[in-house]
Amino acid sequence: MTHIALDAIVKNFGAVRVLDGCSVAVDKGTVMTLLGPSGCGKTTLLRTLAGFVEPDAGRVRVGDRDITDLPPNRRQVGYVFQSYALFPHLDVAANVAYGLRVRRVGRAETQERVRKALDLVSLSAFADRYPARLSGGQQQRVAIARAMVLEPEVLLLDEPFNALDAKLRLSMQIELRKLIERVGITSIFVTHDQQEAMTLSDRVAVMRAGRIEQVGTPIEIYDRPRTAYVAAFIGRANVLAVDVAAGRVVADPAIAAARPDGPAWLVARPENLTLEPGGEGAGWRGTVAFSTPQGATIEYEVATGAPEPLRVVTLRKVGEPPLPVGTPVRVRAVDPAACVVLEDGPDGA
Amino acid sequence: MSRRLSPIDRVGRVVLGALAAFSLLLLVAPSIIVVAISFEPRGFISFPPSGFSLRWYEHVFANRQLTDSVVVSLWVSLATAAIALVLGVPAAFASVRGTFAGRSAANAFLLSPQMMPGMVIGIASLFFGAYFAFRASNTMLILALSVFCLPFVIRIAMARLAGLDPRLDEASANLGAGKLETFARVTLPQMGPALVAAAAFTFIEAFDNVTVALFTSDVRGRPLPVELYYLVQYDSSPAIAAISALEIGLSFAIMLVIARTVGLERLGR
Repeated sequence: MTHIALDAIVKNFGAVRVLDGCSVAVDKGTVMTLLGPSGCGKTTLLRTLAGFVEPDAGRVRVGDRDITDLPPNRRQVGYVFQSYALFPHLDVAANVAYGLRVRRVGRAETQERVRKALDLVSLSAFADRYPARLSGGQQQRVAIARAMVLEPEVLLLDEPFNALDAKLRLSMQIELRKLIERVGITSIFVTHDQQEAMTLSDRVAVMRAGRIEQVGTPIEIYDRPRTAYVAAFIGRANVLAVDVAAGRVVADPAIAAARPDGPAWLVARPENLTLEPGGEGAGWRGTVAFSTPQGATIEYEVATGAPEPLRVVTLRKVGEPPLPVGTPVRVRAVDPAACVVLEDGPDGA
Repeated sequence: MSRRLSPIDRVGRVVLGALAAFSLLLLVAPSIIVVAISFEPRGFISFPPSGFSLRWYEHVFANRQLTDSVVVSLWVSLATAAIALVLGVPAAFASVRGTFAGRSAANAFLLSPQMMPGMVIGIASLFFGAYFAFRASNTMLILALSVFCLPFVIRIAMARLAGLDPRLDEASANLGAGKLETFARVTLPQMGPALVAAAAFTFIEAFDNVTVALFTSDVRGRPLPVELYYLVQYDSSPAIAAISALEIGLSFAIMLVIARTVGLERLGR
C-alpha cells in the first residue's frame, strides 16, 4: 500500500531545473533510498517532502492526505539532517524533548517518552551531555531519537552516515536498519553511496539530473539496470557498443537480445565475465593490460581496442598468480542471459 | 619556537612590540592620569597629584545636581539600550534571513546613523521635534540616542545571526515549532552573549554621549555628560576628574560583569 507519494514534482532554483517531474511512491513500512550523484536533486526531493522546499509543480501525499501546501511544522514527518542540526544550547534530553515541549506535552509524559527514545538508541547515559561533547555517531543517534520520539508517520534521512568514519558507518547502517524494522516506520534515505543503498533499503530509486531513472529492489537494479547510467552507478559495469541482428547480439558466442536490429549497448558485470589465455576461439580478443590479485578474486583489465578496457573479475585459487600483463586472452560471458542489452548507451548515446 | 629568527623578523618584532606599547599607552594613559588627578587634595587640577584625598569624591556625592544627573543618565541609558535591542534584533533578523525586495537598502538605511556625527543627529532631532512642537526632553534624548545606537545592536546581532546554522531553524520547524517559537527557543538563546554585548555597548555609549545629548536633553533634568560639559566651563576643580574616574569605574565594572558571566571572547559571536 502506497504510503508516501511524490507526484511529478518540479522545482527550479533560478534558471536551474533541479527537479524535473520526479515521481516516487513508497509503500507503508518500507525503506526507500534515493540514490544519485551530488547535484541530481535527491536532497531537494527529500526537502520537498519535509516542506523545506516548496515545489513549483506536483503534489506530495502522505497516507490519504495531500500535504503539498502544509508548512513544515504541521507535517508529521521526521527528518534527520546530514549535519544532524542538534540544538547546541540544549543537552541531549532537551534536544529529544524539543518536539514534545513544542506540542505542550505534560512534564511526566515528556520525561517518560524521552527516556524511551534515548533507550531506543542506547544513549540513556548521555542525557545531560551537550551535543558538542558527543561523537559523530552519538550525535546521529540523538538526531534519530529526536525525530522518533514524536512517533512520526514517516522518517526522512539526508545522507545520515556521511559524517561518520567508514568503520562506524557500516555498524550504524545495520543498527539503523534494525531500528527501522523494529518500529516499522516508512523511511526514505538519501545517499550517493550505492553500498549504503544496498544495505539499507527495500527499494532504490536511482536519480539523474532531477529525474527518477529507475526504481526497484537493490537486486533488480543491479541485475537488470534499465540504462547504462544506472548500470554504471550501481556496482561496476562494462558497457560495450554492439550490434543486434535477428534478436541476437552480434558477438561470438551470440547473446540473445529482445531488441530491434541495429546498434545497441551490452552491459556485463565484471564478475559475469571470464577469460582464458590464448588468442584463438570464441570470445572478445584482447591482451591483459592490468591485473590485481584481491585475495579471493583477481581483477583484470583487458585491452580490446575499444575505448574502455574490459573489466573482468575471476575467482582465484590458492597459490594462483594472475596472468601477466600482455598475455593474449579471450573474454566470454559466464551467463549470457545475465547480460543486459540496452538501446541507449552512456550519456544518452 | 623563535630560535632562528632572521634579522628582519627580529627588527619587525621589536617595532611591532613598540607600536603596540605606544598604542596602549595612548589609550590608557589619559584614563590613568584622570584617575590620579581625582585624588588631588587641593582645589585645582595638577599632575602628579600633590597628595591623596577623597575629598572630591565626597564633593561629587554631596552635589545634588550631579547625583540627579547620574540618575537621569542611568534611566536614559537603560531605556536606550532596551529600545535599541527591541528594534535592532528583529531588524537584524530581517536583514540576515529576510528575502523581501529592498532588503539591502533597508539594511543600509538602518545602519546609516553610524555614518552620521552625533551632533547632526542631535540637531536634526531638535528641528524635527520643533516641527511637531515636541520640545527637547529626555524622551527626545532617548529616541535620538536609540537611533544613534541602533547600528551597534544591528551589527552585533547580524554578525551573530549570520554565524547561526539555518538548519537549526529547519530542525525546529520539523519538530513542530512555528516561526515565533523557533525564534524564542532556538535563535534567541543562541544569541544570548551577543545580545548582552550589544546591550552593554549601547548602555555605555548612551551613558557618556555628549553630542546627541547636548541638543536634545531636558533643560532641567540634564544627563551627566551635559551636566559635566556645563560644569567644566566654570569649574576647574578635580571634581570633574572624580566624576570621570567614577565613569571609568562603571564601564570597567560592566565589562568585568560580562567577562565573568558570558566571557569577553564570546561577545563577538
